[in-house]
Amino acid sequence: MHTAARAGVAMSAIAVLALTGCAAGASPDTEPTQEEAAPGFLALADDAFDDGGDLVVQVDYDTAEAGGLDPQGAATARSWMLEGLSYETLTTIDENLDVAPSLATSWKTPSDTEYVFTLADDAVFSNGRAMTAADVAGSLQRLIDTPTTWTGQLGPIASIEETGDLEVTVTLSEPYAPFLAALANTPAAVLPMAEIEAGEIDITTEMVGTGPLVATAHRQDEEWTFKPNEHHPDAASLGFSTLTIDIVGDEATRAAALRDGSADFAVLNSIDSAELLANAQEVSVVGQKNTDFHYLMINSLTGDEALQDEDVRFAINSAIDRDAINELAFGGSTAATGVTPAGLPDSCLAADLPSAAHDVAAAKAVIDEVGGLELDLVVYTDEPVLAQIAQVMQQNLAEIGVTVEIQQVDYATYSDQVYGSPATFDLALSWFAGYADPAMVTTWWNPEVAGFSAVFMKGSDELDGLIADGYSTEPGADRAAVFENLCAVADEQSEMVPLVLRPSTIGWNTESLSPTLSSDEGYGNFLRYITQFRAS
Amino acid sequence: MAVALWSLRRIGAALVTLVVVSVLIFASVRLMPGDYIDLVLGPLATEAQRAQAVAESGLDDPVVAQYFHWLSGVLTGDLGYSFVSNVSVTDEFAARLPVTATIALLTIIVTLLVGIPLGFSAALRSEGSAGAVGRIVSALGISIPEFLLAGVVVFAVSTLGLGVSVGRFAPFAVDPARFFGALVLPVTVLAVGCVAVVARNTRDAVMNVLVEPHVQAAVARGETPWFIIRHHVLRNAAAPILTIVGALIAVLLGGTVIVEFVFNIPGMGSYLQTALGRRDYAIVQSAVLLAAIVFIVASLLVDLIANALDPRLRLTGGSRR
Repeated sequence: MHTAARAGVAMSAIAVLALTGCAAGASPDTEPTQEEAAPGFLALADDAFDDGGDLVVQVDYDTAEAGGLDPQGAATARSWMLEGLSYETLTTIDENLDVAPSLATSWKTPSDTEYVFTLADDAVFSNGRAMTAADVAGSLQRLIDTPTTWTGQLGPIASIEETGDLEVTVTLSEPYAPFLAALANTPAAVLPMAEIEAGEIDITTEMVGTGPLVATAHRQDEEWTFKPNEHHPDAASLGFSTLTIDIVGDEATRAAALRDGSADFAVLNSIDSAELLANAQEVSVVGQKNTDFHYLMINSLTGDEALQDEDVRFAINSAIDRDAINELAFGGSTAATGVTPAGLPDSCLAADLPSAAHDVAAAKAVIDEVGGLELDLVVYTDEPVLAQIAQVMQQNLAEIGVTVEIQQVDYATYSDQVYGSPATFDLALSWFAGYADPAMVTTWWNPEVAGFSAVFMKGSDELDGLIADGYSTEPGADRAAVFENLCAVADEQSEMVPLVLRPSTIGWNTESLSPTLSSDEGYGNFLRYITQFRAS
Repeated sequence: MAVALWSLRRIGAALVTLVVVSVLIFASVRLMPGDYIDLVLGPLATEAQRAQAVAESGLDDPVVAQYFHWLSGVLTGDLGYSFVSNVSVTDEFAARLPVTATIALLTIIVTLLVGIPLGFSAALRSEGSAGAVGRIVSALGISIPEFLLAGVVVFAVSTLGLGVSVGRFAPFAVDPARFFGALVLPVTVLAVGCVAVVARNTRDAVMNVLVEPHVQAAVARGETPWFIIRHHVLRNAAAPILTIVGALIAVLLGGTVIVEFVFNIPGMGSYLQTALGRRDYAIVQSAVLLAAIVFIVASLLVDLIANALDPRLRLTGGSRR
């Protein structure tokens, strides 16, 4: 190769790098849009869109529970979503995060502890057998008899009875406001109990539900393929012929796949991906709000000795600038929250929390009294935004005399440090699913109930009492007052400190897909409206 | 006889190395913080659920017993089961190994086809600006790590399009065109560093031979450059080039982990990375052992071939005088 040719190659390489750099900064306004196409929806599928094609969706991780594909053991948002394609629940969540009918077409509440469900008469499992009241009662009883993470969310169930061919009555031992919302998530799915009990179906390896899709193949951490469940009421009107779900760990790769059309729809997570795709004419990137939220753990049991002092923890809490986190890590697309997720009915207002005064001078005085602090802050690498939040907090805490060393580790190491006994961290960041009822996530502030938090937080009887009150108080002003108090007490104790909501960034190729996507989500299920998707 | 003894000693050393490596792998995996039970069951699991999972996965046996159980399985071809998918590790490897092997093979082919001619060219034109540019480009290729180059390539594709796909891998049996299409970018990324290394070492090897007295004598006799290369340089330069190609296999084993993950290729590399993140012991242990076997066998073969090409190595225990 001549010198001139070599120089040309080198110059071309430099030009490509320069162009990519320019493209990344091409638009100053590239945050994922939250503009609604209709009330409650970021996008509505267009009936005129060519349909019947293969739909390819890329997500970031696969299911991986010890119980395999048993939906009752599903513990992560992706598992809820993936298994929710084949299973249905008695209730569901609508675009306003209100409880809506699903396999239960209606229900009555003769008393505040009694729920009488009328079941759909056209629900058929993918093996062709019609769903019965025995399946519904048996599924809920199985969830109680073999406890999983979700069992506690169902509340104090006293009895489950078949009270008709298509009627099931659930009686609670005491009022429990989140009951209907808890029924709306995949772990409460209705299973083909007759076949399971007869040993004809191994529910841990095979998904047989009444949902719109049937899994035809699965390679762990690689790919799922689904076909329509011919027995589902929406089977004839599905806007795609097959669904492929690719598991793609790298976010930039998912963005590239959206651009080149090898994926129709992808979860992107980071708002930076909107910038990556800013000049892609055929790709839409939106920000779906979530009730999920990020929070800070302050280890008051085995962390730095000073963290046993509530005043020190509150000083740290009150020095954190949620607005700065929102702007710097989320491009202004999210909001501060208390223990009850911001935006849900009756939730407390973050602005009313004791720490919201953001009194840096007062916080610094408390830290000065203990002679300053040097703390570690642990985050895991799978969720890059945690490192961004950590950097903002590092600057916030430096202002009050707390030196923070950020430790980025893989999730296994993180899990060992944070949830191991003894926990070996001072500060750690993570996030909670926010669900669809403000009372549900409050459970985790009771270490005895949560279990995992018992290694790093003490909790208090006062807080436990408020959590119980939140469960048993009917929605309305009284419950809002309970939550306001609960949020304030948790904020003052500052053992688990809510920060900001955790929005999802989602993209799709507008040339090949017309999706329906709600503006808000409570269970991380961005394929909730899959039956309305139309893929060409 | 000497050759046979030397070869036997070399093979014996390789076997001992493998046993030591297996112990180190097993111990390293178990010493990593965090374990499968915590990860897969999650922080909300109860103690009873944890105890059940520990018992079902055999993790309540003594560690030494677990090692020998694993080792005996390996020797009989049973690599165990993935904790996560409950699928036989052997079956998983059978599906993924051909993909990684194809990537490695294609990379080696590209490396040899491009790197060796480039190295020869650089050696024969070592003086002047062409040689300088070659050295700079070569140094650049060696210096850029795969994860960075792969990231830049994906970034370029995700922002500019460029008409190249980074997703939608398909098995060869399903769609050969898509199979090879999906490997273009990973192989290119891996080949950049390998070509640079081989070109650089070929250049050095050839230049070392070119200054030897018998080559100088051939030049003095007026033999043509092509005749000198074929008869005096190629054979003498082959051994060091072969050695570096053998060493590149180790580089490739590490490199595929990165490129398979970044380009979403379901090979051994991405599988190992996911398993490592989940502390899926059976997969991690077996995959790393397999990598060690590949490297040790490759090194052994390189030594044997180099000895056949250059008998002086036998006399010096492998080093050149």
